[in-house]
Amino acid sequence: MDFNELKQAVGDLDEEVVLDILNKVMEDGGSEAKDALEACQRGLDIVGDMFDKGEYFVGDLIFAGELMTQAVDILKPALAGTTTESVGKVILCTVEGDLHDIGKNIVRSILEANGIEVIDLGIDTPPQKIVDTMIAEDIHVVLLSGVLTLALDSMKKTVDAITAAGLRETTKILIGGNPVSEEAMKLTGADAWAHNPQHTNQACLDWLKK
Amino acid sequence: MTLKEERQQLFNDIYTNKIPKRVPINVSLTMDVISGYKGLNRKDVLWNPKLVAPAVEELAERIFTDVNIFGGNPRYPSQSQALRSTNSVMSSTGLMQHPNVVGLKEDEYDRFIADPYACMWEVILPRLYKELDFQNDPARALFALYQANQAKAEDFRDIVGISRAISEKYGYYSAPMGSGAACYAPMDFITDNIRSFSGMSTDIRRRPDKVAAAAEAVYPFNYLVGKPSIAHAEGASFFPLHMPTFMREKDFAKLWWPTFSRQVNDYASLGIHTRAFCEDDWMRYLDYLQELPTDTRLQFEYGDPKIIKEKLGKKFVITGLFPLSTLTTCTKDECIYKTREFLDIMMPGGKFIFGFDKNPLIYEDINLENLIAVCETVRDYGVYDNAGKAAGEEFHKEDYTHSDSPVFASSRYRTWEQYKQLHPETPDSARPRVEKLEREMLSQVYSLLL
Repeated sequence: MDFNELKQAVGDLDEEVVLDILNKVMEDGGSEAKDALEACQRGLDIVGDMFDKGEYFVGDLIFAGELMTQAVDILKPALAGTTTESVGKVILCTVEGDLHDIGKNIVRSILEANGIEVIDLGIDTPPQKIVDTMIAEDIHVVLLSGVLTLALDSMKKTVDAITAAGLRETTKILIGGNPVSEEAMKLTGADAWAHNPQHTNQACLDWLKK
Repeated sequence: MTLKEERQQLFNDIYTNKIPKRVPINVSLTMDVISGYKGLNRKDVLWNPKLVAPAVEELAERIFTDVNIFGGNPRYPSQSQALRSTNSVMSSTGLMQHPNVVGLKEDEYDRFIADPYACMWEVILPRLYKELDFQNDPARALFALYQANQAKAEDFRDIVGISRAISEKYGYYSAPMGSGAACYAPMDFITDNIRSFSGMSTDIRRRPDKVAAAAEAVYPFNYLVGKPSIAHAEGASFFPLHMPTFMREKDFAKLWWPTFSRQVNDYASLGIHTRAFCEDDWMRYLDYLQELPTDTRLQFEYGDPKIIKEKLGKKFVITGLFPLSTLTTCTKDECIYKTREFLDIMMPGGKFIFGFDKNPLIYEDINLENLIAVCETVRDYGVYDNAGKAAGEEFHKEDYTHSDSPVFASSRYRTWEQYKQLHPETPDSARPRVEKLEREMLSQVYSLLL
């Protein structure tokens, strides 16, 4: 099986070719499913690079997320019971006061395709709910999303709530969405920020593997 | 000349190709921002807009702007909650927002293309508004629609009351009655509440032909709703442009641009202008914008003011671009300096109205002292020494040809002839009223899909 072709097809967001290769991978029950998934993950790196270069846009990221959800669904029966383990768990949500979830949902698809278990708390999420979930699920990576400018204030309140609960030193926090920037990261007290979901993914992988 | 007359003259000059005496200032604040100024609870104010009236008056006294300082709000809970809306929802912090919703499923395109207006009534509205379950609970749907309209009328009455009072007292400019209207670009319309932003992003790749056909099918409806009652140099149809910057150029050129460009040109052929808010960063699309009719008003969010002014400033009226974030990240002196610097770029040759890149959402988005300083700087520094001279290119409606797009028709739209058959005793003199009532339903549906 030519997994370079699969990687490139994911990078090109060529759904027909991707699905065709994945279905062929599954013809023998999916003995190479793990390699196929890795090729898809590397294809997502290409998508992320294209987004950074201004050759792909948010609509393409949405489609990439959709494509990866399909890919994982196809490969899932063969992946169950293999050595493909969850890399770790993260909390993902849109912060309090903000009802926008497109960016959050793209991130979720990309993370799941990379073996990260996502506890998605949805939209308009109160800080205390995040803290309670961190404690209940023993989670140390928190991803806060928002579109409105007021989301920055909620992100700061969330970071403060995590600090007040005594969890800040053992937690990594990333903020994402339209209003975030280096300056916003400093303002909110987060550890990292991202517009590109691949950067979010990479940060999570780095943190979870430590 | 009174201040009101001066303002009238400023805008008239801008829209009739003359250099105005000074740069007009288009700054207004929504109810959410004004509530924050007085520390009012946003949820209370959304349910009772009259609560902000004293704050509006105080802000009008403090901020110099040429248009009404009171910008109302785009969404109200009294109406949307009567209908149990899913596309207009209040957050826990009291801000009305528009979540990503799907009104039409991917396998329902053909039904939409066949008769968009009927599909809106039969499929999309019941899906987006839980109370509009015409099939299973028609009585409740009727109550809900009545209550929503009643609520809308009450809110509108309060908003207009505040708006008129403040306008009369402070002499704000407004365009002539009936010269304004608003709609989405056709493809934005089928995206926003119909297929959803995420749904459309996949449709563009999976079923582009259906997307193109749906934009064509909805064109006659979109055209009617967005067309102002009268054509006037100062009036315009307003389009907030959503999708393009999230698309690849080849998809934009094939799917998004054709119907928008046609609608704008059709209006231009009737002497109707367009005001477009180019949301996000349109720098890669400036060549397309260049093709739009002369004197189209273009509001930009991000982008390079120098390049935009250089490429588009002679043909179009430019506004926006001044970063709202300046107000909260700069000192007062820095704000004044940046305003002057911005005016130096944008003023030459006229065809420029001062405005921010985006509207503030909440009071924390502005620093009031800095906002006051910016507006006063525009008023005092933005003065022309060649007022009355010709500004850029002139608009002539004869330069544009109306397309032969089909006239709006639908199985759910009763024509005059059908009405006459049902009520033969109706005199022909009643026709405008009958047609107006039927047409108001189009606007009603459209407003529920904004």
